[in-house]
Amino acid sequence: MAVSSENIEISSKETEAGADYTYVEGVGNIPRDMYKYVKSDPLGDLPRYSVHIVIQHFLIFITFLTLASTGLPLHFSDLWWAPYVMSLFGGSDSARLIHRIAAGIMIIAAVYHLITLIAGTIDKILNKRFDIKKTQIPRKKDLEDLIHDIKYFLGYEQYRPKMEKFMYKQKVHYLAILWGTSVMVTAGLTLLAPETMAKVWPNPRFFQDLARLMHADEAIMAMSVVVFWHWSNVHLVPGRFPLQWTFLTGKITREHQIEEHFLEYLNNLKEIPEEREYMKNLLKEKGFEAERR
Amino acid sequence: MRFSKILKTASLFSVILLIILSVNYQANAADKENCLMCHKYRFLGRINEEGKKVNYNVDENLYGQSVHRNVPCRDCHTHITKLPHDPVTEEVSCANECHIKPPFAKENFSHKKIIEVYNNSVHSIKPEDPPEVKEAKPYCKYCHFDPLYEKVEEERVAFEETLSRCLNCHEEKGVTQAYKHITHRLRHKTSRPPQEIVKLCSKNCHENVELMKTFKVSKESLDAVETYKRSIHGKAVVLGSQEAADCVSCHATSSIHDVYKKDDPKATVNKANLTKTCKQCHEKVDERFIQIDVHSKIAREEKPVLYLVNIGLKFTFYGTIFGLMGLAFLETISRKKDGIKWLLRHGTTWRGKSKRKPKE
Repeated sequence: MAVSSENIEISSKETEAGADYTYVEGVGNIPRDMYKYVKSDPLGDLPRYSVHIVIQHFLIFITFLTLASTGLPLHFSDLWWAPYVMSLFGGSDSARLIHRIAAGIMIIAAVYHLITLIAGTIDKILNKRFDIKKTQIPRKKDLEDLIHDIKYFLGYEQYRPKMEKFMYKQKVHYLAILWGTSVMVTAGLTLLAPETMAKVWPNPRFFQDLARLMHADEAIMAMSVVVFWHWSNVHLVPGRFPLQWTFLTGKITREHQIEEHFLEYLNNLKEIPEEREYMKNLLKEKGFEAERR
Repeated sequence: MRFSKILKTASLFSVILLIILSVNYQANAADKENCLMCHKYRFLGRINEEGKKVNYNVDENLYGQSVHRNVPCRDCHTHITKLPHDPVTEEVSCANECHIKPPFAKENFSHKKIIEVYNNSVHSIKPEDPPEVKEAKPYCKYCHFDPLYEKVEEERVAFEETLSRCLNCHEEKGVTQAYKHITHRLRHKTSRPPQEIVKLCSKNCHENVELMKTFKVSKESLDAVETYKRSIHGKAVVLGSQEAADCVSCHATSSIHDVYKKDDPKATVNKANLTKTCKQCHEKVDERFIQIDVHSKIAREEKPVLYLVNIGLKFTFYGTIFGLMGLAFLETISRKKDGIKWLLRHGTTWRGKSKRKPKE
């Protein structure tokens, strides 16, 4: 895919009727609800994640499920199903070993992610391509976007907010994972090596109890968020059902990109000439070109 | 000629097979004085003074397979001196010496030594105990006649630890040799799996809070079974772990019967002995490690900070889950109204007609 760094003029305009058009030089006026008219491939049209992120997600995905299924029966040891789940892993002594190996792989994946993240950021800063708006760092705009979106869902706004590569949902989830992983690793280490960690913690009696509490609580929290929110958001809601392929292909569908990551789509238009060509022809075909002011 | 030879060999073999099959390996109990002459009858018994039926039958097959199979009846039932004997009024004492000499020992065998350990422990019956406490305390037969205590399944060997158990009763020289010979029989601190130990201690006794109150035990002891089952040791044991600590792993030394109260300096769970006790499993134990609460209970009075943290975590949990699910629900309803379909088909999901009211 050819990437051009030429400067393309982009300006947005709201008409009197409330219609929202974004003018892109060499393409035309793109209406905000363009996502309703584009063609999309379920496997994804536009680049979103590098192969590193796909591998990291896969590692986390596998280890998370392993950790959850070996840890849950221990937490709910007094419930009837717990011994059956345990016996799937060869009894509680081998489940313990599996849990620790999976935790090790998950920590490796987390370190791998941090390395990619830091190296990628340094690379971007050196090439002067770094843009804080495209990162996961929360900004004031995210809160505004959330309020805007809720207003839109309730019918008080006409269009969804124009969001960057990572919208408020993804930022909340990503930061929760950062916090959750740190807590789980620290508490898990405290449970795994109480002798060593007792030397580290200022008050071993208190911190051991806290670790017992936090490890279980964070785990249940993470599992519930993944099952009830993450899975429904990425695989069950309309447009993503029955499976969004992004976690395997690293690509996002065009309609999804325009709907929830409009500003990132404009970046795609800048960088991918083929996409500019496609959008130009589509606008002509649908008759939006005539409305240029 | 040849045919009759084959027939002869075949009939010889079948006769041998028949003999082998018909041999009955009957267990023989040590009964020199022929007590079984009467006690072999299945309905030998009487109705006692309290109107209860008592059966005096001894099943020779069962007795012949028990650990006491080589002990003659009167070694334990010492008060029987003539035949037919008088009604039995006294209990059997396990501290009796019997006429069995253990291998490599000079003295007759007795359970005396372990009973001394027991008599010093918290479980022993003391003269100052009120009668209901005396009644409830476990004596030898309480645990060892428990149906839980009938069969042992053993897999692995922990030589030093198990040998030290043998030395509770046997003399050191010789039994070490004998033990080496049979080590495959024993493993761990107790030969029983931890699940059985936990069950034996908790069932009908330590999990019975009302009963424990009559002993005036400490507050921690009242909840001991509950807090153990919530601890990582307890959970692992409930789920079948053979490695995690059970009750006697921490509360007794390898003589098993020496359980004392926490304040007693002899107790394994006394602060002075905790390092040694924990070291059985946790290798790098120090002063800081033993501060960790094993029977941990997060209650308002004892651990107010953790109690509040726990409540805070619960609120955060439900707030997060319902907040996020509410948002996803709202989003889905709104997008459905805007004309989105569930499946991406023919290149688009937005195949429906929007029912949203246009902005005025």
